[in-house]
Amino acid sequence: MSGTGWRPGACAIAGIGMTDFSRDSGRSDLTLATQAVLAALDDAGLAASEVDGIVRCDMDLVRHNDLAEALGIRQLSYWGECGPGGVAPCALVGQAVGAILSGQADTVVAFRSLNGRSGRRYGAAPASAAQQVVGGGATYDEFFLPHGLLTAGQMFALMAQRHMIEYGSTPEQLGSIAIACRDRALANPAAQMHGRPLTMDDYLSARMISSPLRLYDYCLETDGAAAVVVTSTARARDCRNGAALIQAVAQASLPGTQPGTMFPVLMRDSITSLSSRAVAELLWARSGLGPADVDVAQLYDCFTITLLLQLEDYGFAKRGEGGAFAADGGIGLDGPLPCNTSGGHLSEGYIHGMNHIVEAVRQIRGTSSAQVPGAEVSLVTSAPPPASSALILTADR
Amino acid sequence: MTTAQSVHAQAAEPAQPTRLAPAVSDPDTGGFFAAAARGEVALRYCAGCGAVLHLPRAYCWHCGGWDTGYRAVPPRARVYSWTVVEHQVHPAYPVPYTVALVELAGEPAARLVTHLPGRPALHPGQELRACFERLENGTVLVQWRPADAEEEANDDAT
Repeated sequence: MSGTGWRPGACAIAGIGMTDFSRDSGRSDLTLATQAVLAALDDAGLAASEVDGIVRCDMDLVRHNDLAEALGIRQLSYWGECGPGGVAPCALVGQAVGAILSGQADTVVAFRSLNGRSGRRYGAAPASAAQQVVGGGATYDEFFLPHGLLTAGQMFALMAQRHMIEYGSTPEQLGSIAIACRDRALANPAAQMHGRPLTMDDYLSARMISSPLRLYDYCLETDGAAAVVVTSTARARDCRNGAALIQAVAQASLPGTQPGTMFPVLMRDSITSLSSRAVAELLWARSGLGPADVDVAQLYDCFTITLLLQLEDYGFAKRGEGGAFAADGGIGLDGPLPCNTSGGHLSEGYIHGMNHIVEAVRQIRGTSSAQVPGAEVSLVTSAPPPASSALILTADR
Repeated sequence: MTTAQSVHAQAAEPAQPTRLAPAVSDPDTGGFFAAAARGEVALRYCAGCGAVLHLPRAYCWHCGGWDTGYRAVPPRARVYSWTVVEHQVHPAYPVPYTVALVELAGEPAARLVTHLPGRPALHPGQELRACFERLENGTVLVQWRPADAEEEANDDAT
């Protein structure tokens, strides 16, 4: 991002939109995507005819042309995709910025739509496990699935156990992350866990899923969609709700990244520091900011341990101290780093990282249900394995 | 019907479904399973510079060499991490069972995973020994069991 035309704040998020979140939407993925994008365009005060770019997650069932047709877009001049899965959202915003700065598009929609509970469930074994013979073809599944390592939750459980071995982290520390997210959801009427308080006793007495991870260490499989509209800052300033400036966006992999999409991450030198470490390095350099400058963060939380590891990778806590940072109130509303203020994937809904961007914009606008007073620097991260992405939004003041 | 639903539908049937077998004919990784069928744990190495290429692939980026192949390593490993799976997600893998991540004694930079029935007592660094499990279709998996008390691993199996 030292390239021609880039400067911090050159582009902005001008619109945000979401559907309701549920366990059974009763609607198609395309209908959910259409509703979320229409909401984002309405929020910006733009018409669908003004959209000329669409970027999508590789695991979304909705393709560019599906959405363009559903919205009545006149002509697309740019489309792109990123992944795998939850890695995509911040990188999608980066693609939109690239398209705008290179003159390929003026107004780009980034979206994620999924029936993640009633349709394809990401907490389940992969589709390939329906076959009798698994792996090959550069998936490397043959080294993992036959041994019963079948889900992302089991992989993150191995990481959590290793973090406990290396640093002495505790179940109570993981529980404090689940509870912090739940507390934010209690203030958010749109969150799936709104009105359902969670205590440490609840957390510890919940059933073990894959040790050391218990039920509330897991995010909520969700039906829903979220979308954002990215455009030049000059154009965003004319939009209905102003501009949330894109201070920096980064995607990065680690050396020795390992092949495949998920389980081979376990073969890396460390399984307690993830590709988020490499993203952080780029993000801080590009933004001219550091951990101490961040007012509020939406950290990807497919599991509690995922958030804990990022606290360390982004430098908010020292290596090995992410759990203590959270347990000491570090991620609470009154803490040094209020996190996941809509409830996060753990308690609002799991829209594969895209609802985190929507909430990060709300914080910049001052419209969150758990608003951090005067928030001007808003961090949002996407999934860390195998590679990752993140972005920093700043207020237009 | 979604994958998850079809998996659960199978779970309702009385017969124990067949365990998942690895693809053994992939040009990059097949040598690992060919070695397992001979009762060996083998990793892929670069003949030029000696780098271990794990997970296996054909090209060595360390030295630019294409002359790579499998070499047996000692059948010993240590526990690196583990998880006891209590929530069943696949009909062929009844819970509880344990998945352990192990580092190889002769090549600590290389890890493998193993399936252990039940909830065996494990600790970090615990010594393990390879065993070779023949699946119904004849494919052989490398599994790892505690070196000093192999039978203990099955104590909690039900």
